[in-house]
Amino acid sequence: MTLLRLAWRNVMRQRRRTALLSLVVVYVTVATLFLFGFLDGYGESLVDAYAGYVEAPVVVAKEAWWEDPDPENGLMALPSLPEPFTPRLSLYALLRSPYRSEGGVVLGVDPDGERRLSRVPAKVKEGRWLSGPGEVVLGHRLAERLDVRLGERLVLETGKAALGLSVVGIVRSGVSNVDFAGVYLHLEDARRLAGQGILATHLAVWAPRGREEATALALNALLPQGLRAKGVWDLMGPIRADYEGSRLFYIPLMGLFMLLAAVAVVSTTYVSVRERLREFAVGESLGLTPLRLAVGVALEAALASGVGLVLGLLLGYALLAYTATHDVFGPLMRLSVELLPESGLSEHLYTAVRPVYALYAFLVVAFSGLLAWLFPGRLVLGLDLPRYLKGE
Amino acid sequence: MKRALALVVILALVLTQSPLAKLKAALDRLRGPAHQGVYLVQVERPGSTKSYRLRVYTDGERAQIRVLEPKGEAGQAYLSLGQDLYLYDPRLGRTLRLPPTGRTERFLGSDLTYQDLMGRDLEDLFEVSEADGVLVLTPKPQAATPYGRVEVYLKEGLIERVRYHDQRGQAVRELLLLGYQRLDGAFLPKVMEVRDLLKEGYRTRVEIVEVKVGPVPERCFNPLYLERGC
Repeated sequence: MTLLRLAWRNVMRQRRRTALLSLVVVYVTVATLFLFGFLDGYGESLVDAYAGYVEAPVVVAKEAWWEDPDPENGLMALPSLPEPFTPRLSLYALLRSPYRSEGGVVLGVDPDGERRLSRVPAKVKEGRWLSGPGEVVLGHRLAERLDVRLGERLVLETGKAALGLSVVGIVRSGVSNVDFAGVYLHLEDARRLAGQGILATHLAVWAPRGREEATALALNALLPQGLRAKGVWDLMGPIRADYEGSRLFYIPLMGLFMLLAAVAVVSTTYVSVRERLREFAVGESLGLTPLRLAVGVALEAALASGVGLVLGLLLGYALLAYTATHDVFGPLMRLSVELLPESGLSEHLYTAVRPVYALYAFLVVAFSGLLAWLFPGRLVLGLDLPRYLKGE
Repeated sequence: MKRALALVVILALVLTQSPLAKLKAALDRLRGPAHQGVYLVQVERPGSTKSYRLRVYTDGERAQIRVLEPKGEAGQAYLSLGQDLYLYDPRLGRTLRLPPTGRTERFLGSDLTYQDLMGRDLEDLFEVSEADGVLVLTPKPQAATPYGRVEVYLKEGLIERVRYHDQRGQAVRELLLLGYQRLDGAFLPKVMEVRDLLKEGYRTRVEIVEVKVGPVPERCFNPLYLERGC
């Protein structure tokens, strides 16, 4: 306890130096908190978009369909599942208006089942959600591109059949895949377009938030051979690789950043110790062992960076709390959505706030203490007492 | 007296013909009798024009079209058998079966569709009525057409103009028949022109320059003969 008080007194004696050391730690702490909050928030935004809009929390389909998502690999009979689910039939079709034709994946859905499982029906901003066959609902950016309006007919053609469907709703969800490429039609119409007696290509299954992978795992134990369930993370496609790549890139980078901050703290401590070697020699002559003096040096470094940590945590969590409740990154995300319209990115991104980030940030303090013990501490351990006491 | 009576009967039949029957008859004349010929296609774009020379074999229902010129695209061949459309690409060395959607795609990058050259979608997808001597076609429920209304202008039972309107009433596309030739009692257009009414300067002109009326060998309508020709 005495040693800690002594270390604290030394830290407070050199306020300017302590302030500079703390500033480095404040900066790194805020950066650490923000980076992890941003990455986790980005991940959560992707899960939200894919589970609620683009795909589903869990999807069940034939192994063959996972390999090749062609309707001919679809389901001819629907299995019974313990979780609530709704059948979907996705197929490639040509969309034709009088002005423009373009290809895309269309989704045949059961309108009521979809209301229970997807957030898309609640995001219809013009018109209404599907109520029966002969109707189609479009993402607003796709409707603009094709130049079709509410009440007009859009032609859907596949290799098997063609239908003219009436546009009854325009969706504005803020999720790129839905707004730029979303085409929702009644399951019966999709079955007509697919032909071959296909009932659905896959089943969208409900799972509580955070339990998607566990639910998929549990389903896989129950499903008959040839069927496989995938959780939302497995449904994300290339954007998941992008997200994981970001983590792989930023986390070691952040580790290096923290190490450099610790080195900055320790190098300043090193200079401080060199300046105070006579003081340490006096301490040793008064009965403090070299080991306790070295511990004291490590404590000084840890306390100085601890002050920075506390301030950094306050600032960092305040920043996270703000960005977790305010759509600060909206403009940036909207730009990303424009650049990557089929990525499943959301136009909104809120950072995550987790207590564990404080633990990550604490690593700077731990590093600083450890390095201070290893380097300036060794100066004290190898102190030539008579030389310093004589004032040479 | 008998001849006069027969004329009256024919006239009465013509007058009492339903709009759908008039459309069918007009389309029969548009597609012409069984013949083989050379069609010149000129695709006009603002600032550029591209020409194609095509050999066509048709029996009025089925058609084979083979590109003769330009050299870069020579050898490409298309076969329309009702709903089925086949394409032979010499660069691939293979014959591909195109989905029904292919019929509404642009032909050789022009303003023409396969449907304009070979199909009969107008009678399949639309309800036909008549107003002031113009056949007015409105899509059947769930018909696979993006158009809201099509007007077919007839002159003496021959199609003179087909005007396609979007679903807001605006004319978006026009097919003009600039003269017919009479061949062994049947009719065949001389010049056809398609205009994109939304894009200024987008026009495709088809001129039928050589025609030989008569039965076309059955092999011309066999996909196996697309590569070697018939």
